[in-house]
Amino acid sequence: MHPQHALNQQMDYVHPAPVRVWHWINASGFLFLILTGFQIRYAESINLMTLSHAINLHNYVGFVVIANYFLWLSYYLGSGKIKLYIPDLRRVVGLAIRQARYYGFDFFLGRPNPHTMTAENKFNALQQQAYLVIMLVLLPAQMISGLFLWKVKGYEEYINLLGGIKVIDTIHVLLFFFFTSFLFIHCYLATLGHTPLAHFKAMFTGYENHH
Amino acid sequence: MNILTGFNLRYGLAILVLCSLSPSWAWGVENAECLECHSDESLTKESTDNILNTEITESLYVDEESFNHSIHNDNGIACVDCHADIEELNWDEELPHAATLESVCCCSCHEESAEEFKDSVHMEIRKKGVTMTCYACHGYHDVKPMEAALVSERANSVCLKCHNPAHTHDWLPAADSHFAFVECVVCHAPEVPRTINLRFYDLVTNQFLSGDQLLDTLGIEYDAFMTTVDTNGNQQIDTDEFDDLILMLKQKDVHAALRAELVAEINPLAHNIRSGSAQKDCGNCHAADSPYFNTVSILLTNADGSIERCTIDRSVLQSYYVNHFYLLGGTRVKLLDKIGLLILAGGACGAGLHLLGRILTSPIRRKKSKK
Ligand code: HEC
Ligand code: HEC
Ligand code: HEC
Ligand code: HEC
Ligand code: HEC
Ligand code: HEC
Ligand code: HEC
Ligand code: HEM
Repeated sequence: MHPQHALNQQMDYVHPAPVRVWHWINASGFLFLILTGFQIRYAESINLMTLSHAINLHNYVGFVVIANYFLWLSYYLGSGKIKLYIPDLRRVVGLAIRQARYYGFDFFLGRPNPHTMTAENKFNALQQQAYLVIMLVLLPAQMISGLFLWKVKGYEEYINLLGGIKVIDTIHVLLFFFFTSFLFIHCYLATLGHTPLAHFKAMFTGYENHH
Repeated sequence: MNILTGFNLRYGLAILVLCSLSPSWAWGVENAECLECHSDESLTKESTDNILNTEITESLYVDEESFNHSIHNDNGIACVDCHADIEELNWDEELPHAATLESVCCCSCHEESAEEFKDSVHMEIRKKGVTMTCYACHGYHDVKPMEAALVSERANSVCLKCHNPAHTHDWLPAADSHFAFVECVVCHAPEVPRTINLRFYDLVTNQFLSGDQLLDTLGIEYDAFMTTVDTNGNQQIDTDEFDDLILMLKQKDVHAALRAELVAEINPLAHNIRSGSAQKDCGNCHAADSPYFNTVSILLTNADGSIERCTIDRSVLQSYYVNHFYLLGGTRVKLLDKIGLLILAGGACGAGLHLLGRILTSPIRRKKSKK
């Protein structure tokens, strides 16, 4: 048990250091990838930077995000904490409905969140499902399609097998829109803590406040 | 057809002028006469080279087969049209013409190309003592029609004889993609008009469909192709007309897609390669409104290397018919942008509405927490 945990029963150590480091690298990486991504796709109407800067920056940051992904993966697999992401199949439907009801209704009436965040049970049922799909399917798909776009000639065979560069690009772009949209919602939902900034602070300090 | 129209007035006149200057050869010397000796593979000439002063043996063999398929032969240019200093063959001598002939001047017929070549880097290098001939790039007895050629068969393979672009384009991301899809002179002779060439590619056999194959399948003649496809008669295949064409092919069990390349038109301006003036601005190509895809055409290739060009609406590049060619940003699928806008708007509205609900209901929660 973490020493401070004992000192203060109100605070729960939910975000260990590797997770916090991963998270903020990932977040700033995404921000850059989205900005440069817009610049690359809409070069004729956006003038943040030149196209070749945008492309180079996008590629470098892309690799940082990929490396960072492996930090996340090895931490969660290594520590066995990956089970935080795995929903309990017998209960997940009921829990998810309750959680959706909370976000859409109970929350407005000031009723309590059906899920309490603890180190052992960090995500509610909706988060579990969303993050699982994102981390194990969507983000890898984004990374792999990005790698293919980076060396079109080098990965020619695989690209042709998958139907051509435009198909790869379509995957990359649809996911890009999804992630950008996800980011809005993610940031917004993060303000639903007991104070609007509580969850943000927790991602820096590691401690989530309960009362 | 194309070849005939290609044989334009210019050359006709040039030849007429040549004829009137030296009437003796015009009626006299047939290719076959030259080939009596020069189709012999063992015919050689001993000479002293002018660099090392050593004895060298040069082959004087001319590959008749290859010459007969050249664009010059197709256009009726004979041996003596180029080797113009041979006015007649003197069959009394063992060697019926002068032992040393003047070098051939390509420029006598290709004035405009020569004019454009004059200020290029490849003429500049004369000052350094390097002489570049026209045939260093084009060859001479086997000049093939270039219009139907793929990027890999065009300048790109020619330039590689002397240059290794892998060393000079570090600043260009995905340089090998550019070399595969963009002809060197499109960037290096920026004034040359360019076009996107599209070819049918059979997805089942994994081969390009020649014009003949395609028309056979459709059961029509070359002349009838445009009138069949271009139903509204605007001399251009519009996207809906192209949809119909693909459907017709599908009904005949041909599953075709289009392969695209960015090439220079066959134009004298292609010679105007200068140091430091190449196209470097990515946005000129990688933007939806790029002038580089103003002309897009489908090529129907014939066995003899000639082609039929059918103009097609440039928006076909933004469709999934052209899946193996994508310029970031430039030929993007517009539908994706609309879907994207919906996804973004969905996320923003979701968050926005919840926030609104949260503000409106905040009195309820305040009351509750006071209790
Ligand atoms: C009777 C055989 C014969 C015929 C016919 C003939 N040539 Fe030649 N040609 C030769 C030989 C032999 C040489 C090599 C001369 C030498 O060794 O200097 C030669 C050399 C040449 C050369 C190289 C000259 C140089 O400067 O190195 C050219 C070009 C050429 N011939 C073109 C032609 C053309 C064009 C015709 C037809 C108009 C023709 N020849 C007809 C036998 C022939
Ligand atoms: C498009 C112009 C052109 C035509 C047509 C042409 N030649 Fe040549 N030929 C050249 C050039 C250029 C050279 C290179 C040396 C030079 O400049 O004389 C050459 C060189 C040669 C040589 C020297 C050996 C070699 O291959 O370098 C022979 C022999 C020759 N030609 C014969 C012929 C014969 C025979 C024909 C007709 C079947 C013919 N040429 C048609 C342009 C032409
Ligand atoms: C550095 C290589 C190079 C050299 C040297 C060169 N050309 Fe070309 N030439 C090209 C390219 C590239 C094209 C355009 C065709 C293409 O896009 O592949 C072309 C096109 C042509 C065409 C077709 C143009 C038209 O309007 O029909 C002619 C004719 C021609 N060249 C003649 C010449 C002559 C004559 C010389 C010498 C003065 C010469 N070339 C030197 C590369 C070269
Ligand atoms: C006697 C006139 C004559 C001479 C000399 C001549 N050509 Fe041509 N050339 C033609 C004609 C005619 C055409 C066909 C018309 C056209 O396509 O422009 C042609 C076409 C070409 C083309 C265009 C190919 C294409 O795809 O359209 C090239 C390249 C070319 N010649 C290169 C050369 C070179 C290199 C030389 C010198 C070795 C040379 N020519 C000498 C008459 C000549
Ligand atoms: C026969 C050999 C040869 C061929 C073929 C050739 N080049 Fe060159 N090129 C040269 C030489 C030699 C130079 C001068 C290099 C120097 O000055 O350092 C040169 C210079 C250049 C330069 C300027 C380089 C500089 O340092 O400024 C460019 C650009 C260029 N060539 C492009 C092309 C393209 C594009 C083609 C094909 C259409 C081509 N070259 C075909 C020999 C060739
Ligand atoms: C996307 C446009 C583009 C394409 C495609 C391209 N180049 Fe270049 N290349 C450039 C630019 C820009 C430079 C930088 C020098 C300049 O501005 O001329 C350059 C530089 C060069 C140089 C060195 C010139 C120097 O000044 O040092 C050579 C040689 C060269 N290119 C040859 C080629 C050849 C051969 C091909 C085809 C295989 C090719 N390039 C394709 C744009 C291009
Ligand atoms: C003359 C037009 C042209 C210019 C200029 C140009 N490109 Fe390209 N670019 C292309 C073409 C054509 C492709 C190949 C498309 C394909 O692979 O299907 C391409 C491919 C690419 C790719 C690989 C991904 C893809 O879309 O297939 C990147 C990355 C790229 N270009 C970046 C750049 C950058 C950065 C610059 C400026 C430094 C630049 N390009 C300048 C035409 C151009
Ligand atoms: C995770 C690793 C990623 C890699 C390796 C990667 C790589 C690439 C590459 C190579 C390209 C082609 C242009 C270029 O060379 O830069 C590209 C385009 C693009 N990327 Fe990424 N990317 C990644 C993640 C992302 C993310 C997370 C986003 C946004 C959420 C994104 C958005 C875009 C957009 C919008 C384009 C332009 C596509 C177009 O014009 O059609 N990328 N990416």
